[in-house]
Amino acid sequence: MTDAYSRMTLGRLRRVLAATIMAAALALGLAAPVMAQAAGQPIRVGGTLALTGPLAATAMVHKIVGEIYVEQLNKRGGLLGRPVEWVLLDDQSKPDLARTLYEKLITVDKVDLLIGPYATGAILSAMAVAERNGKMLVHHTFGIPKLAKYDAQFPTWALGPAPEQTVPGLVLDALAASAKPPKTIAIVTSKFPSVHFLALGAREVAQKRGLKEVLFLEFEFGAKDFGPIAARVREADPDFLFMGAIGLEGNQLLEALKKLDYTPRNHFYTYPAPGPMAVSPESANALSSTVFEGSPPFTNEPAVAAFAKEYQDRATKAGLPYTLADVQAGVSYTAWQLIEAAVVATKSLDDKVLAQWIRANKVDTILGKLRFTEIGNYGDDLSKIKQVQDGKWVVVWPKEFASGAKLVAR
Amino acid sequence: MPSANLLGQSLLSGILAGGLYALLGLGLSLSWRFLRIINLSHFGFIFLGAYLTYQVATSFHLSPFAVMLAIVPLLFALGVAQQALFVRFAVNEFGSLLVTFGMVAIIESLIQYFWTADFRRLESGYGTLSYRIGPLFLPVAEALTFLVAVVLGLAAWAALRFTYLGKAMRASAEDPAMAAAFGVRERSLALLVAGTSAATAGIAGTFVALTATLAPAQIYAWIGVIFAVVIMGGLGNPLGILAAGLLIGVSEALTMALTSPSWAPLVSFTLLIAVLILRPGRV
Amino acid sequence: MRVRWQMAAIAGAGSCLALLPAAHPAAFVESFLYLIFLWVALATSWAILSGYSGYFSFGHGAFFGAGMYTTANLAGPLGLPFLWTVPAAGLSAMVLGVAVGAVVFRVRRLRGELFALLTLAVTFVLATVVLNTPLDGGPGVYLSGVKLPALYGGGTSTIYLLGLAVALASVVAALLVQQSRLGRGLFAISDDEDVAEVMGIPSFRYKLTALAMSCFLAGVAGGIHAVFVFYVTVAETFSITVPLYVVLMSVLGGARHWIGPAIGAALVTALTYAFVGGDLAVIGRAAIGLVLVLAVLFLPQGVTGLLASRARRSLRLPQPGAAMPPAVAPQRPLRPGSPLLACQDVQLSFRGVRALGGVELEVREGEILGLVGPNGSGKSTLTNVISGYYRPDAGRVLFAGHDLGHEPAHRIARLGIARTYQIPRPYARLSVAENVALSAMFGAAGLEPDAALRRAMDSLAIVGLDARARTLPRELNLHQRKFLELARVVASGARLVLLDEVLAGLSPAEMDSALSLVRAIRDRGTTIVFIEHNMRAVLSLTDRLVVLNHGQVIAAGAPRAVMRQPEVVAAYLGTAHA
Repeated sequence: MTDAYSRMTLGRLRRVLAATIMAAALALGLAAPVMAQAAGQPIRVGGTLALTGPLAATAMVHKIVGEIYVEQLNKRGGLLGRPVEWVLLDDQSKPDLARTLYEKLITVDKVDLLIGPYATGAILSAMAVAERNGKMLVHHTFGIPKLAKYDAQFPTWALGPAPEQTVPGLVLDALAASAKPPKTIAIVTSKFPSVHFLALGAREVAQKRGLKEVLFLEFEFGAKDFGPIAARVREADPDFLFMGAIGLEGNQLLEALKKLDYTPRNHFYTYPAPGPMAVSPESANALSSTVFEGSPPFTNEPAVAAFAKEYQDRATKAGLPYTLADVQAGVSYTAWQLIEAAVVATKSLDDKVLAQWIRANKVDTILGKLRFTEIGNYGDDLSKIKQVQDGKWVVVWPKEFASGAKLVAR
Repeated sequence: MPSANLLGQSLLSGILAGGLYALLGLGLSLSWRFLRIINLSHFGFIFLGAYLTYQVATSFHLSPFAVMLAIVPLLFALGVAQQALFVRFAVNEFGSLLVTFGMVAIIESLIQYFWTADFRRLESGYGTLSYRIGPLFLPVAEALTFLVAVVLGLAAWAALRFTYLGKAMRASAEDPAMAAAFGVRERSLALLVAGTSAATAGIAGTFVALTATLAPAQIYAWIGVIFAVVIMGGLGNPLGILAAGLLIGVSEALTMALTSPSWAPLVSFTLLIAVLILRPGRV
Repeated sequence: MRVRWQMAAIAGAGSCLALLPAAHPAAFVESFLYLIFLWVALATSWAILSGYSGYFSFGHGAFFGAGMYTTANLAGPLGLPFLWTVPAAGLSAMVLGVAVGAVVFRVRRLRGELFALLTLAVTFVLATVVLNTPLDGGPGVYLSGVKLPALYGGGTSTIYLLGLAVALASVVAALLVQQSRLGRGLFAISDDEDVAEVMGIPSFRYKLTALAMSCFLAGVAGGIHAVFVFYVTVAETFSITVPLYVVLMSVLGGARHWIGPAIGAALVTALTYAFVGGDLAVIGRAAIGLVLVLAVLFLPQGVTGLLASRARRSLRLPQPGAAMPPAVAPQRPLRPGSPLLACQDVQLSFRGVRALGGVELEVREGEILGLVGPNGSGKSTLTNVISGYYRPDAGRVLFAGHDLGHEPAHRIARLGIARTYQIPRPYARLSVAENVALSAMFGAAGLEPDAALRRAMDSLAIVGLDARARTLPRELNLHQRKFLELARVVASGARLVLLDEVLAGLSPAEMDSALSLVRAIRDRGTTIVFIEHNMRAVLSLTDRLVVLNHGQVIAAGAPRAVMRQPEVVAAYLGTAHA
């Protein structure tokens, strides 16, 4: 009699239904790995990419490169005489999902080797999982070296251990060697972690080199109206604009500047979306850093040229608007090269053996010779400075590498 | 101390941004007020319109505005179909939020399927064009956006206020039973509102294509600020939306001109909170 | 508490899940379940305020984020032990929530979409502050150095167990709240907050309590999640998807049921994982969208809503007694005929328009006082002042020795005043029995839920509605709804009842039964103010009569004598119709 209320709100049938639905949902979630499991033989390399969500634009590049590499590798006979299979999952641009999926790859799918996801946040997540499980992690797009604290993780984005010093240093070197070295600098940066710290570093480097800072602005990642920022840049009128930009932010500022009939004299963008930055008319002479481009002098090596060509074909087929291989494609390819080199040299799939070998050796890649011996297992900073010239990215610095192309400074 | 020129240019930039906010929010506000539908897929429609503008204008070398003329009836039909579905299943206010959230995910996937996740930019010539007025620059695409927002806002306001249909709509929203008694055909009216709302999304989409680079995930980037504008302006109040868009656009632009731009959201949203708490009767 | 069965089920499920790590499952299983727990905690905690009270918050991301950044800063840069930071995360989220609620809940019109927007704006403000201060500053907070206590020999299991704990705590909290006075009060607030307050529900305190619980749990979940992701950034933490997903999950499962949000959270999280294959990523995303669309179209009330009406119909109710439930005995009884309520120079204006211009009125213990006057004379306004819905600009309202001037409406109801509404205002989504039981719980009677239900059934029997106890108010016709209003005041046990045009719209036969019911209510010891246009009924029923015109008392005394006074005649025939 007395429990009328509790019965009113909870019928027996409902309990059964709720339990059934819960069970079905759990089964659905847990069954996915079982379905994905293929029969034993191939060597399985597992990783996630942000195939959907806000990071999907760039993650596509890594998908195409991985597919090319695995296909070619298998044509060459695979690894240790076994075919290679890439187990690729979609982390939906969410680091917490990336973490869980790497746990799935390691503990449920039991992949042999790991390759990193796209972008710093997800890589940090994957790195921790790899560390807990004693797995080696080779990754391609990690931007903040000082946060990489696991000794069996290997970055192929050859930024060196302190890019916040070396990258701004390099671009200022390049400009200092030009006909008209800049005397004033404006630094405008997104508060996106992996570009923000580069901008803060640029601030220090510029001060050390005696450039006068005429403007320092931080804006939130995802800002939409760049009009006021552009007005402030125009008013400051620096010799050199250093922008901590990721994705489209560089283009957005440039367009806003153009509408004020202002073109920055010299301008650098940390991680611009390569396509839009190359083709848009207002980004002429824009600078950025790179460790790989699908153009000479990188492609003077025939194997690299072949990859660049293959990439272009696949990107065209996939319907991408910008089809040239660039940094993202290069570091992605390098990650696969590193895995192959280590396995071939050690004839082993043991993570410890592989990691030890990588730490002890210099590895030949399309980026050049890589070593993994400094802080965070970074090696030399192989960054070059590239510039938009005639709608194309051209490497202009260091001079000896630039093969004739000259930095345009104003 | 910032110069008068910088302040003027920022103010102008804020005003124009406010116009874009109002244009993006107008249809959302109408369907929320008159249909009790919180239509997240409005943002999906906007980007569908933007991508279609991009595609057709690029492939056939047409003016984006010519493309817009074709997109408007298409999206009108889409809006009508969507409303018919809502009516068929008697979707309520918060149910609509969830259904349309699912629809946005579908639209986002469709866009990514056809156009990939990579960035798309419509090269129309309007993108970076601007006129000089004294010391200030007036960007053409943004100015057109603002103009269209004002025209559509005024038209919606006049239609609601002076036409029989508009009065019937307002009556229906106040008291459906009473309006029905006076012969207001609520269902056809609802379809008309839904179609119009989606059509404004199509128009907004063309202007988004003119002024921004497109990527599928950008659909979600606008939700926060547009919701703020819509509610602050008063649901179903086209002039209120214009005012709210201007208020938020200008306050953000001035913050960006005067302090660190990363503080901009603080000012606009604190303002919003203050308005809500101090004058709740007015929003 | 009648929740033993459910508590046992939760305890059983909880202990099974708590033992899982002992079997050393794959780390993925633990993480996957952890993410379900996280969303169960977030969705359930959201529903404690928003599902139950109808105050849909879009700010859950702010409270979750406050928890994340509390742990991130305390355990990261400051190096405090992680486990200590988790309650701190809950507390800081709670402090934030209470601060917001203390302001927002005082503003009567901040409901519905305005509340949703306001909470969303709080999220953006908080995100901007965190982004621009040392709490984060831009680079994100990295928690690799944080030591986790190792249970079952691994940090993953620790996080799993913490997640399980906060999920269970949220579900138990939701269950206990739903069964308590607090929960029932929140449901009433959800349907009609003004009526709830006037019927004795302390709406401000209840909403604030629910918000505090909701925020605390979200903050704790955030504190744990900070260590799960261990790289905390503003963009991820305060993204719009957090509040959207929370609302989505709760509504999908059924936000008005304690287990609904948990079901929704498990479903949506599992659905997210069903489509992670690299080749089908884009199609998978569309599929998730499609499932959501179909789920809402075909299950508009959520999974648990499917069975709500069935549960309502199979409700076991106590047999009603035959007697009229008594009024609550006053602490200080008054002699019949001595003044129970006195209005002294009560004034009230709306934007300069004077509604009450110094009303002087006395209601005597045990009488039926008629209150009449032309339309717009201030009868309804006066009713709203006495019941506490409006606060007078000047003057005093004394009730059994208490000055009601500064009492909130719910205190006035508890002191022993109840009212009916001219157009009945039942709680639309609660059964007839619950509608009446709420008055017995929160009115003068102040009963606990079980006793209140018995009293409600007795009251329904008196008005002849006991057979309809399980139905929803919308299934009643107008005169039944009028009698439902009467059943509520009977059940409340009030000493003074304000009846606002209970006869309007009734047939002559229904009127007769209503009148005899009013007499019966008086005979049990309740004083009545009878507001009515039907003069025949007024003259036959009332002991005394007060006439209002233009917000002032123009006549008072024996009914027939009053009606013959020239001012009264003028008010009705002259000025009122001029």
